[in-house]
Amino acid sequence: MTRPAVQRAVDAAFREEWGRIVAALIRRTGDWDLAEECAQEAFTEALRRWPVDGVPHSPGAWLTTVAGNRAIDRLRRGTRGAELLERAGREALPQSDTDEDAMPELFDETDEIEDDRLRLIFTCCHPALPLEGRVALTLRSLAGLTTAEIARAFLVPEATMAKRLTRTKAKIAAAGIPYRVPPAHLLPERTAGVLAVLYLMFNEGHSASSGTELIRAGLCDEAIRLGRALHQLMPDEPEAMGALALMLLHHSRRNARVGGDGELITLEEQDRGRWDKVEIDEGLQLLESALRRRQVGPYQLQAAIAACHARAGSAAETDWREIAGLYALLEVQMPSPVVRLNWAVAVAMAGEIEAGLAIVDELSGDARLERYYLLEATRADLLRRQGDQAAAAAAYEHALPLAPSEVERRYLLSRLQEVGRSSFALDTSRADA
Amino acid sequence: MKYLLFICADGLPAPEDLAVLQRECPRWVEEMDGRGVRLLGRELDLPETAATVRVRDGETLVTDGPFAETKEFMAGFDVLECADLDEAIEVAAKHPSSWFDAIEIRPFMDGLRLGEAAQAFAHGDDSLGSVYCLMICLDGIPASPEEEEAITRESKAWGQDLEARGLQVLGHPLQHKSTATTVRVRNGETLLSDGPFIETKEFIAGIDVVSCADRQEAIELAAAHPIARYHAIEVRPFWSE
Repeated sequence: MTRPAVQRAVDAAFREEWGRIVAALIRRTGDWDLAEECAQEAFTEALRRWPVDGVPHSPGAWLTTVAGNRAIDRLRRGTRGAELLERAGREALPQSDTDEDAMPELFDETDEIEDDRLRLIFTCCHPALPLEGRVALTLRSLAGLTTAEIARAFLVPEATMAKRLTRTKAKIAAAGIPYRVPPAHLLPERTAGVLAVLYLMFNEGHSASSGTELIRAGLCDEAIRLGRALHQLMPDEPEAMGALALMLLHHSRRNARVGGDGELITLEEQDRGRWDKVEIDEGLQLLESALRRRQVGPYQLQAAIAACHARAGSAAETDWREIAGLYALLEVQMPSPVVRLNWAVAVAMAGEIEAGLAIVDELSGDARLERYYLLEATRADLLRRQGDQAAAAAAYEHALPLAPSEVERRYLLSRLQEVGRSSFALDTSRADA
Repeated sequence: MKYLLFICADGLPAPEDLAVLQRECPRWVEEMDGRGVRLLGRELDLPETAATVRVRDGETLVTDGPFAETKEFMAGFDVLECADLDEAIEVAAKHPSSWFDAIEIRPFMDGLRLGEAAQAFAHGDDSLGSVYCLMICLDGIPASPEEEEAITRESKAWGQDLEARGLQVLGHPLQHKSTATTVRVRNGETLLSDGPFIETKEFIAGIDVVSCADRQEAIELAAAHPIARYHAIEVRPFWSE
């Protein structure tokens, strides 16, 4: 077997199996670092052995066995290992037996591995952990990103990220955060917490638009992959479906939303032929089966809004009335000035510009939006639609210093030039929210 | 696992909140004692009764008031024995203080023992004399490793001396503040935040409950603690009807 072919097989196994192996080892040993190290060693071993022995029939089982054996080896060695083994024995075996015959049972394959992965995701996303720690630990333990990769994705030094991961794991152990799927009465809010972590991860990647930020863009793929895993593990949870649908529908536009020079292209001006049809279809299907369960939540509503855009053959065919209605529902479930601002855009685009502007004016007093460039940018665009070029230009100028990155700044500047030239083009910049 | 619940207050309660607290706190105590999760707990006196003790260059400096100069303060504590943090959160969220203010959950370091004096204190036994709470407050100036070692050694000796003199009710270090979780319940929803309630650089690293003759003796005991040379110790009486 050729080396590249083996490398591909190992890469595929890594994506598929990393989280499972780590999750199972954490449950059996209670030691997060040991679990990561042994999983890593199993993949290193695969790279060494598979070119010679061939890729095993079941790579996952092979890797799990190797990682498990490594863990047993380590536990047999050293004083810390002895303690861990005792603890692992206590947790895994009711008779608290640590003799050698009992050891293989610590790593047997009889119990449900899928449950382990759920345990891991709920523990990584426990609401008592710091939010940035939740995101980092999920990427490390479940997705298998290295500390260096996560650090690059969040634009912090590797040492900072290493400290964040250590601190988060330390709190799990020291504060007694249980390694389990929450009981039924906690499940809805904890599930929402897990989805929030995945969506935050997705948005980190989605907001990275330029070529130099490709590493950050990889966060979208990881978030979608984890979203798929969660949906597979909780097939009856409509919000898990909704969140996955939402991410897929946004992701489907990735090739159309940034131009050749890294400039932002608004939803209206995007070449819809470049939208990813496969992802759109999957997103729409997921949304449909989620909505059939009649337990509407914020992710399903946001996905439904994204679906309105995905279904419209052209910007002009967009059903803005439907979108405005969905934003009104979303605001009930998730009151936020940003949701309200998006509602204002939808109302205006549905033909009631005055009403839309009135909502924007109301929001001007909200301290939470004081530094939010999209408030002024939205006002500018609505004024421009109304034909008030001078007022629009003033609002664009207000928005400029608040723009978070060069991409947005360049977009605002180009709009500013347009209104200077008295262009009356329609704009729906905020529909890509 | 054993946890300390700090009952936190953001100023004095409004009269209508106070009524709820007075009605619901005894119910909470009864329920949690019945479940066996609450080992003991007491309300502290108001923050203006506190003295904060530091020793610098051999001189004892006493300032009136709590360690953190904020309007938030610790109003009391409870010691819990819970299966895990989720249970501690559930117990904290049932305490009415979390409905108006907040409750900070801090895991103890391993090895907390509750002796006879602690049991008597738990039952509000007055034969103890005056009980004072000593809160060990680290204000962020890290001591050198050698100093840390000396502090640990001397702290142990300080505790043993108190125990020998029959003054120690209970005392144990807490896990680092980064293991803290603050619980608030708003509109029926339990909101968690990572870290201590009082977000200043000072934080509470441990508590000691001592029984002694009067406030002056409590201050002297605090001044004798090695931590007072580097950081601060807040001395506060418990609430009495």
